[in-house]
Amino acid sequence: MDTKHLIQKYLPEHTEVSISGNCIIVPVKAADLVALANGLYRAHRLPLKMITALDETRDGGLYRILYVFGIPQAHKFITLSLQTVSEFPSLTPSIHEASLYERKINSLFGLSPTGHPHPRSIILHDNWPKGTYPLRKKFLWNERPPMTDTDTPFSFAHIGGEEGIYELPVGPVHAGIIEPGHFRFHLAGEEILNLEPRLGYSHKGTEKLFETLPLEKKVQLSERIAGDSSFTYSLAFCQAVETLMNIVVPARAKHLRVVYSELERLANHFSDIGAIMTDTGFNFGGAQGARLRERVMRICDRLTGSRFLRGVNTIGGVTKDLSKEAAHTLSEELVELRTDFAEVMAIAADSSSLINRLKDTGILDPKIARDHGCTGVAGRAVGIQNDARAQYPYAAYESLRFTMAGAQEGDVEARFTVRIEEVYTSIDLILQALEALPSDSIAKLQPPVLPKNAFAVSITEGWRGDMVCLVATDSTGSISRVDMRDPSLLNWPCVGYAGKGNVVPDFPLINKSFSLSYTGGDM
Amino acid sequence: MTITLWILQLLFIPVLSPVFIGLTRKIKAEFQNRKGASIFQPYRDLYKLFHKDEVISEDASWIFRMAPFVTFGVTLAIGACIPIVSSALSASPVGDFLVVIYLFALGTFWLALAGLDTGSAFGGFGSSREMMLAAFTEGGLILSLLTLVLLSGTTDLSSVATTMRSLPFSSIAPVAIALLAFAIALLSETARYPFDNPATHLELTMVHEAMILEYSGKRLALMEWSAANKYLLFLTLGATLFFPWGLAHTLSLGAIVVGLIILVAKVSLLCLCIATLESSISKLRIFRLPDLLFTSCLLGIIAIGLII
Repeated sequence: MDTKHLIQKYLPEHTEVSISGNCIIVPVKAADLVALANGLYRAHRLPLKMITALDETRDGGLYRILYVFGIPQAHKFITLSLQTVSEFPSLTPSIHEASLYERKINSLFGLSPTGHPHPRSIILHDNWPKGTYPLRKKFLWNERPPMTDTDTPFSFAHIGGEEGIYELPVGPVHAGIIEPGHFRFHLAGEEILNLEPRLGYSHKGTEKLFETLPLEKKVQLSERIAGDSSFTYSLAFCQAVETLMNIVVPARAKHLRVVYSELERLANHFSDIGAIMTDTGFNFGGAQGARLRERVMRICDRLTGSRFLRGVNTIGGVTKDLSKEAAHTLSEELVELRTDFAEVMAIAADSSSLINRLKDTGILDPKIARDHGCTGVAGRAVGIQNDARAQYPYAAYESLRFTMAGAQEGDVEARFTVRIEEVYTSIDLILQALEALPSDSIAKLQPPVLPKNAFAVSITEGWRGDMVCLVATDSTGSISRVDMRDPSLLNWPCVGYAGKGNVVPDFPLINKSFSLSYTGGDM
Repeated sequence: MTITLWILQLLFIPVLSPVFIGLTRKIKAEFQNRKGASIFQPYRDLYKLFHKDEVISEDASWIFRMAPFVTFGVTLAIGACIPIVSSALSASPVGDFLVVIYLFALGTFWLALAGLDTGSAFGGFGSSREMMLAAFTEGGLILSLLTLVLLSGTTDLSSVATTMRSLPFSSIAPVAIALLAFAIALLSETARYPFDNPATHLELTMVHEAMILEYSGKRLALMEWSAANKYLLFLTLGATLFFPWGLAHTLSLGAIVVGLIILVAKVSLLCLCIATLESSISKLRIFRLPDLLFTSCLLGIIAIGLII
């Protein structure tokens, strides 16, 4: 479907639009925003992919808020663009998943969402000085504002009344070596009545740093947003820039990108499948998961010189080629890996005590999942059909055959089995891509000339879920804003809901079955 | 000679207990296709901890400071009065089975107090879970040992061990059932699967580990050591009471050495059983644990029912 038809289909008649990259930009006024956004979200069922803000005050403009709606299969995004000075109408009362984006804009840009039911600060904590907004252009990237003490602690939900209900603060420092995050439990004995994650402890100012680094360093930075998703993140960034620069990536590079993406997914799914088993105390499975992951990481290391596939993506393609022999060896290894994995899973499936722990634990209500925009593995485990590889096919996914994994139950077992299915899919996808590997070049390099005042959106399917990247340029044609939406941002609140009604000792297992990134959400 | 045996008994448990923790871990590692640390690693861990500084919460009272000594002392005391390599201690006034069970309970009580003492959320969690388990475990433990006591007509554990060897064949059913009840209680008391995961790093799932989470350095070493002692004590009790073969009945040096070797072999075999169990199942959900402990209790009642 071409752009004209898309406009006719999804937007009201006589809507004024402009095109930039792969975005259909619709300028909106504050008064029309809620109705227009609801039309796209509710009537046309277009998924909301991102809400982000741009500071254009340096170019003599205002702040701009972009609402990105994806059109599955069409490679296009309808982007509502709202200019504002200080506030914007909140979509949260009608579209709940807008809440976190709006709170983020509120915290980092200081633009307030009017009508938001509870616009608490996220990412920045109480010691951050009031009135200092790090993503505004006048805030310098290397500025260190003085920390302030505050008497107003973060307002967690409170459950009062009954005797015997108590609060349990957990983290940000944990007994094991994991990322920092705080969880506030409300408990009656061992039963979880309410659970709220509070994050932001690993906020590093990544988005701000994107504004200052030179282009090739931006690629490196994108690999370091969340180390376990290095390849998919840098792919999202490179694709967005390629769209802006109108680069047609060679077919061989596209196939190699599939190979590397799926290797990354394999390594992490093995790790998670093992870790879920470890957290039930099923040590055999845990050790096997760790072993399988290590095998994949060694393959990555051998092929690219990096266990985490860093330095592989570049704007215009990839930097590491696969020789015919290497491709052949990889295929053989993957076939063997598949048998190896199948043997481990057969033993796991035989363990009734393992299945007993997974089944009906941490059930996520599908309605809550949809309202929060739950994405990735966790979304597919409650029947949400959401896989960027199928819906926004990038790299060479369009030419490869695969079925989207899925389950309905939404419990830990469902998330576990979705991952198992995806392991087989990933191996199969790599084998297909290697089979069909075209023989043209691995990269199309060209001088980095970017259009002015433009932006592009790119979506990739990381092993957690879809990563949305928006790259915007200013009036000089340099990149002025990069926003990466990690699947963790949307899925964290779902962890809280999935925990409700379970007993405390099951929470680590539930949390592991989501396996979210702290650093990806905190940026 | 009795004095020598006392000293030997007093030393046996603390000196050898870390190796059985190490052995169990090693076997588990083998089951997971891992190489695993040496079976002597727990000694190195203890050595390391004893050379570290301690951090004690300023909210901690004397209970927190005292608890490691009490729990460790209790395991030493029990080690001195149960039949380990010889049944010749039958004259000992403290070898009564109720004394042993309640000395264990005293240790648990102090451990739970220490968990509560610093006021940290996890310590409280651990203590509350431990007390729930301890209350349910006690029944099975007492009833299983009571079966043996009733069969042998004495409450002195050394005498029980002596008579256990000459029991008529007809008592095999109650003894086997009592063994099952004892085995479940053993797993609960020593914080093993499916009750607790001794290797966990997840503070929300811990029972034993949560209670000692606030400890560091030397006191942590004592806590770890007394946990190892308790593990060996229970294994030894199981080995000498339910499988009394090889127990020395005279105080000759030869008999004691042979008794010692046989005991180590039996305990190692029990470690293998526990490691196998821990490698083949998951931990149970916490609210299914009382069911298992009730089973232990019921088995104890059945075993006694078969005798009376």
